[in-house]
Amino acid sequence: MFGKRNRGARAGRAGHPEALRLVKVSKRYGSGAGGGPQDNSVTALDEVTLSLPAGSFTAIMGPSGSGKSTLLQCAAGLDRPDSGLVMVDGEEMTGGSEAELTKFRRSRIGFVFQQYNLLPTLTVAQNTTLPLRLAGRRIDRARTEQVLAQVGLGDRLGHRPDQLSGGQRQRVAIARALVTEPRVVFADEPTGALDMRSAREVLRLLQQAVRVHGRTVVMVTHDPVAASYADSVVFLADGRLAGQLQSPSVDAVAERLAHLGDLAQGGARSPYPAAPGHPAPGTATDHTIRLGA
Amino acid sequence: MFSLAWKSVRQRPARFLATLLAALLGAGVTMTFNSLHDTAAGAGVDDTSAETLTTAASVVGGYGTLLVFFAIASTLTVNVRQRGEEIALLRSTGATPAQIKRMVVGESVVVATAGMLLAVGPAMLGGRALFGMFQDSGQVGQDVDFAFGPIALSSGFAITLLAAVGAAFLAVRRATRALAGGRAPRGRLRVLGGAAALVLGAGSVAATFSMDATEPALMAAPAYGAILLAVGFAVFSPHLLRLLLGWFARPLARLGGAGAYLAVHNMRQRAAQLAGVLMPLILFTGVAAATLSMQTVENDALAASGLTKSVDDKNLETLNLTVVGIIAAFACLMLINSLYAATSYRTQEFGRQRLAGSTPRQVLATVGFEGLFLTLTGTFFGTLAGLAGTLAFTSVRTDTALPDQVYALWLGVLAVGAAATLLTCLGTTRRTLRTPAVAAVAVAG
Repeated sequence: MFGKRNRGARAGRAGHPEALRLVKVSKRYGSGAGGGPQDNSVTALDEVTLSLPAGSFTAIMGPSGSGKSTLLQCAAGLDRPDSGLVMVDGEEMTGGSEAELTKFRRSRIGFVFQQYNLLPTLTVAQNTTLPLRLAGRRIDRARTEQVLAQVGLGDRLGHRPDQLSGGQRQRVAIARALVTEPRVVFADEPTGALDMRSAREVLRLLQQAVRVHGRTVVMVTHDPVAASYADSVVFLADGRLAGQLQSPSVDAVAERLAHLGDLAQGGARSPYPAAPGHPAPGTATDHTIRLGA
Repeated sequence: MFSLAWKSVRQRPARFLATLLAALLGAGVTMTFNSLHDTAAGAGVDDTSAETLTTAASVVGGYGTLLVFFAIASTLTVNVRQRGEEIALLRSTGATPAQIKRMVVGESVVVATAGMLLAVGPAMLGGRALFGMFQDSGQVGQDVDFAFGPIALSSGFAITLLAAVGAAFLAVRRATRALAGGRAPRGRLRVLGGAAALVLGAGSVAATFSMDATEPALMAAPAYGAILLAVGFAVFSPHLLRLLLGWFARPLARLGGAGAYLAVHNMRQRAAQLAGVLMPLILFTGVAAATLSMQTVENDALAASGLTKSVDDKNLETLNLTVVGIIAAFACLMLINSLYAATSYRTQEFGRQRLAGSTPRQVLATVGFEGLFLTLTGTFFGTLAGLAGTLAFTSVRTDTALPDQVYALWLGVLAVGAAATLLTCLGTTRRTLRTPAVAAVAVAG
């Protein structure tokens, strides 16, 4: 028990230079997976290899059905890939029971979802400290208040989620994701349900978590404006990596995305050559992307 | 709209299971007892036999109908609430509230009819067994023949259908009101009714002391008192739950870790909704424990006085036990049904809890603590109501303390209540945990 706790605490500080690493991760959905004659399955992820350094802010984009949510769920241990390797902070995520995966996530991974996913019966402060409580870790009241003050909710500690606006709820979710000092924060369409002003605040907070506090943030989004807050954008199409942009601008992201959409709709199962040795335009060799650092 | 009702029942029969059970139980009980009317009306039945049979048949008549009504209403309310999305879809495609009402009433009639038809066979057997008990005790002549005829069938069908239609109207009215965004009325009537039940119950229990120890109707006053007290506690159960939480929440949360912590906060916020679970639990415990222990005390008193049981005594015992059995069965059905509904309704919440870092075991611990606390609260107030009646009866009837069997009986009743509560909520939660957390959160709820 104590050993685990210590390891969790260490993971929060020291850390591997590579926050997240995916090696040939594949995931298929539906019946007949395995490639038989009556194969009705859909390939959601096709041997995706990706490496994100610690302290980076990455947006994952792609048309609907490109596999971006599946990628996030596999990387975050919410779904199990059919094959491939996921490493968070240098440690391999082994596909054990749900309880084992949960314990793996607790000290390493934080989440922010489109629908906030706060517990309705708990106050802002209680929601924020819930991950610590579930992990049996000590709760530092001053630190909780500090984190909530950082997201601008220092005066809302005793409120319940239904007394807050959407933007405020998402900021509680961000505080909850950061309070465990995770190595990677995964955000799934964090601004999808917000108005523009609240969205901007949320994106600035995520940016701050990276720039000021050195966290690693991976964000799935379909909004080029949201993606422009990231350091880099990784594009997905038909379950494969389809290029990246460093220091993205809104226009560049939108243009690239429109192009991806055309290709995906064009009927080609895979818009980029699958044969090795033929790198797709804008893609690093063999669907592998290594970002800066 | 009726064809839609028919289709919806045919496509998803499983979700009407609880309503079917309630209708089956209701129709079965009604027909069983009313077959005694048929028997009494038979040719060549002597007057005493006819009177015994008619009295016994009438005992269940009044409150039996009420029980059937409430049981079906409880299951249908749950059914309609869980289909909020489907009903909203029907409204947005142009169904008027009246059409939706007709659909729900139609479904209810279809299910109730199925329940009644299924109940005929068991009711014939049950009626014969009941009749046999009266004949064995000598209350009914040996030459009387059992009959299961028009009175049993028509009353069973009429009562169940009436209850089903009425309950459907009630359920759909509650649901459409909730959909229209209106808050449930605060319920001043309810508070008044609860207070009245407590006062009348206390009065009824007190009235026991003014009665003679050998009076045949001695048991009636404390028994009704206990039932009324239980009803009163049931009405005020949200307040009582909050009171107990105020006392025990802190030590419990400290003792039980994160699961207990979440359970305490959930119950505090949801005290009002949990009344639907506490109510049948309090009633079940109070009614079952009070009647069973009073009967035990009575048996002991008779044995001590050296008298053999008269036919009337035996009759009373049979009826007592039958009545308790029926009330307990209905209360148990309502308890399991509302608890199942309340728990499966929380799939999304459990998903959120898991995404926040809760292992499946911690979710089960949360639900288990809630179930345990509800069981303790419900059985405590049920016991309080039952004990008031039993102690009053015992002190008037005999001078001795409670016989030992009473404690065993009481434990048995508590065990049944606890098992129904805990097994239902843990079993339902286990099922919801099979959905991956991300999918559970996406479920509309």
